[in-house]
Amino acid sequence: MAILIDENTRVLVQGATGSVGSFQAQIMQEYGTKIVAGVTPGKGGRKLHGILIYDLVEEAVQGQQVDAVISFVPARFAKDAAIEVIGSGIRLLVLTAEGIPEQDVLIVLRYAAIKGATVLGPDTPGVISPGKCKLGVHPHTMFMGGPVGIVSKSGSLSYEVGRVLTKNGVGQSTVVGIGGGPIWGLSQEAVLEMFEKDPETEVIVLLGEVGGRQEHDAARFISQYMNKPVIALIVGRTAPEGAQMGHAGAIIEGEEGTAASKIAALEKAGAMIAKSSLDIPGLIKKIGE
Amino acid sequence: MRLLEFQAKRLLAEKGISVPKGVLITSPEDLQRVSFPTVLKAQVPVGGRGKAGVIKRLEQLEEASSVVYEMLASTVKGHPVEALMAEEPVEVCTQLYVAYLIDKQVNMPLLMVSSAGGIDIEEVAKRTPERIIKKYIDPAVGVQDYAIRSLAKALEIKDVWAFADLILKICAIFQEKDATLIEINPLALTPNGQVALDAKILLDDKAAYRHQELFDDLEAEQNQLERRTKSRAEELSEKGQINYVPLGGDIGMIADGAGTGMITLDMIHDAGGKPANFCEMGGMANAENMQRTMEVVLSNDHVKVLIISLIGGLTRMDEMAEGIVQYLKDNDQSVPIVIRMCGTKSEAGIPMLRESGVDAYEDLATIVQIAVEKAKEL
Repeated sequence: MAILIDENTRVLVQGATGSVGSFQAQIMQEYGTKIVAGVTPGKGGRKLHGILIYDLVEEAVQGQQVDAVISFVPARFAKDAAIEVIGSGIRLLVLTAEGIPEQDVLIVLRYAAIKGATVLGPDTPGVISPGKCKLGVHPHTMFMGGPVGIVSKSGSLSYEVGRVLTKNGVGQSTVVGIGGGPIWGLSQEAVLEMFEKDPETEVIVLLGEVGGRQEHDAARFISQYMNKPVIALIVGRTAPEGAQMGHAGAIIEGEEGTAASKIAALEKAGAMIAKSSLDIPGLIKKIGE
Repeated sequence: MRLLEFQAKRLLAEKGISVPKGVLITSPEDLQRVSFPTVLKAQVPVGGRGKAGVIKRLEQLEEASSVVYEMLASTVKGHPVEALMAEEPVEVCTQLYVAYLIDKQVNMPLLMVSSAGGIDIEEVAKRTPERIIKKYIDPAVGVQDYAIRSLAKALEIKDVWAFADLILKICAIFQEKDATLIEINPLALTPNGQVALDAKILLDDKAAYRHQELFDDLEAEQNQLERRTKSRAEELSEKGQINYVPLGGDIGMIADGAGTGMITLDMIHDAGGKPANFCEMGGMANAENMQRTMEVVLSNDHVKVLIISLIGGLTRMDEMAEGIVQYLKDNDQSVPIVIRMCGTKSEAGIPMLRESGVDAYEDLATIVQIAVEKAKEL
């Protein structure tokens, strides 16, 4: 099995009738994701690509199992929508919205912790288990099933690495985007732990970037608990201090936020360091030998 | 948004936290409104001002105008000094450190206090971390009295009520204004009570829509004080809310994701090229964003080649192609453009580009190599 999701995961799409939500819902469905319901307030009773739309999450979960939600609700309304999902007892929520106020994210994550739910994101492309289930917005033709687990802050960087691996005939078990920060639900460290336990994953690729100190925590986890090989690529080596490099979390404030310090910590922890996406297939081949 | 000291203190004062009486000074003429002795403090958005010599106590008017001239002509850590605060000196008995912030390691608000407030607080944190007392505030329940009493006890504060009142006010400002950091250092204990001698406040830009008037006013005030002339690219990017970072080289760069943008820069650098900028359109860019972004990046005259690095997930490549084609139609420009396009709807986007005579590649390394070579030739 893959981590977080598999071919049996029953998915609800929140914000299903907006232009992005409906476009992505259709692509996920075509990929084979089991979408069992959609929710948009005021649009209850309609059907979209054969998916029944409800006004409220509590109506959608009546009489059917829902394992996971992907939310396309815009940042301004994301807190309410996320709490609605967590409150209904659903265990996995993917928050795609970028720019949710930090205090809103804090409340959502705290409520999730109380209710035992896992939140991926915000500002995440979601998670894909190639060939099984896609709970996200990934360009899925760039991925194929196989033994490599990928965990990434950036969506686009995970696509880039997936594309290079797939082109070289190396498939992936699960590709997890944890989001652009500066506050994260599921952390790199937590995803590493899942991959370590997952029998389908043999090698892990960690994709990090400047800003914050998550990669240092990941490095500590790798050196203390991991037996599987880890390849790390940290981008933003050329980023100046204090500038925001796209993601809200990608801003160097202090020594720990620099790419150099993260690379040094990961290398010391035993991870192999890739300079670019192109190095990764070669490093994986080396592990195989 | 990082507030300047006088802006931060105004927010504190509005809530009833006492701050020294002060006058904002932008020229020596403003000294007429100042009573002496006074403390002059440069208003720049960086720490370490005391050590940089831009906080000075002045005894009388006669010596003041030359000091004001000098300070207004100085630069602190790259920030030209545009304004000063002249504040009434305060008789300080003890200096405390008080901060409320979001701890991003554990996703919780954190109250931090220390009896070792003042300019050496960072050293204190490094050498004697036990002197900084921390209390996490669970967002599910908010700050409670016992937490404040515990901090007051650790600090050996006599007037617990006044301290509790101050902490509750800080927490209220944090909540009401969507702050991500409020730091008072030092908080002076004086014969007349607590006074916030210095204040740093960060507000959450992502929550600006909830406080639009406040954000607009603070920003207008900061812009008015800014003397540094911005490049046209920076001006356009601010207006269009585009994430643009100037980097000084000659290869312009536009990406549709932060990670792919950063790896593109790293690869340009490794191939011996010099990026002119970082520019990312975010996950949900459309044709119009692309046009505006090209306008920003190409308004920089130093750009010899433009790399557009696209790998569509949420962003649709047909829309990106539409934006690029439209820009080229509307603008007479001669900078060569090298495009990488793959991902969502690229099967529609690539033919659109080719029809208007622009080629697109699938491989990132290929466009980086082409661009670096072109930049060297030109």
